[in-house]
Amino acid sequence: MVELVLGGQTEAFEPLVTPYRKLLLTLAYRLSRNIEEAKEISQETLLRAFRYLGSFDRRRSFKNWLLQIEMNVWRSLGERAADEGTLRELAAWNTHEDPEERLAGKEAREKLLTCLDGLSPREREVFLLRDIEGRSVKETAEVLRTSPISVRVHLSRARVKIRRLVKDRFPGLMEAQR
Amino acid sequence: MSCSRIRKWIPLYAGADLPARKARRLEMHLERCADCRTEVEEIKTALDGIRAFANGEVIDWPVAEWNGLMARVKSERPKQHQVSRLGAIPRKAWAYGFAIVLVLGVAALILRSILSPPASPLLSEIISHTPAQPFRSLTIDEAAFVSYPQDIPFWVPREQGELDRAVLAAGPAPEKTTQDLMSMTLVSQETGLKVHWTFNKNFEWEEKKR
Repeated sequence: MVELVLGGQTEAFEPLVTPYRKLLLTLAYRLSRNIEEAKEISQETLLRAFRYLGSFDRRRSFKNWLLQIEMNVWRSLGERAADEGTLRELAAWNTHEDPEERLAGKEAREKLLTCLDGLSPREREVFLLRDIEGRSVKETAEVLRTSPISVRVHLSRARVKIRRLVKDRFPGLMEAQR
Repeated sequence: MSCSRIRKWIPLYAGADLPARKARRLEMHLERCADCRTEVEEIKTALDGIRAFANGEVIDWPVAEWNGLMARVKSERPKQHQVSRLGAIPRKAWAYGFAIVLVLGVAALILRSILSPPASPLLSEIISHTPAQPFRSLTIDEAAFVSYPQDIPFWVPREQGELDRAVLAAGPAPEKTTQDLMSMTLVSQETGLKVHWTFNKNFEWEEKKR
């Protein structure tokens, strides 16, 4: 499909990236904590992916390549407004959910976000890719262009912080497990 | 193994990211340490909880916005990626090439140090290895007509020397040979610097350099 796009059939780009559209937008939102910014990051990611498709190494995973672009975009665009705190308006955004689902989704998002707020940007990147998106340590290192050792160090710190945050903010969750 | 040492492994173990050998050691510790067991369970619970929140938070593009984005993307042209010849070489090949150059460089340095002539000896070493010349004492008359080396570019006669000669003239008989005047020339092999020393019997000296 990459060859088709590069050969001039730009229509082939949509089926190429559609499987990842939710992933890209959700990850951008978790990173930026702002839906408008998440859209901007996701859009820029797709534009860059299209522009630089010729440089994509076919031996690599296309998904990881997209994630790598998104991380670069997030670092260049996302950080400037990361702490503006305009994220809580999300519930009204997704019009495909019914009101009950929307409310449940909002609660889940806010719970997650309050925990992610306590992580540093690098810890958040590593934690989201490894623990939420399920990438391996090696893949996470590849996406973030760093070493697996660095990933392990940040992951370890992030998990310790997450444990403390969950324990402080959601004590019921810990109690329920006992 | 103590808790303080094992505790740093717990976050990675809780997410199944600890290497097997360390995981086995940690499990042995966990069998007898309730505190560490609790910590592992708490991290696992926190991770499961966060994952559960995350599963309820998948965001999708509104259809109209997605279509608009795709229309915008398709209106562009993908850039033709020009792979330079250097860029086409895999990273491994670069690493091997660098290693080979490094090894060759070190080998060249070693060969150079083996094959090059030994360094010039120090002046102090030359002096210490030079056999001492037998002293030949000058008589006072000889001392008066002593000729100084011709390759000295300049010579500043000292008035003090004149006085010394006068003193010497009034000294012992001519047939008595005593060490009244001695000159010495030191030549540096490295720089070609010549240092001429002339001592009188009072062991005063003059130095001329070129």
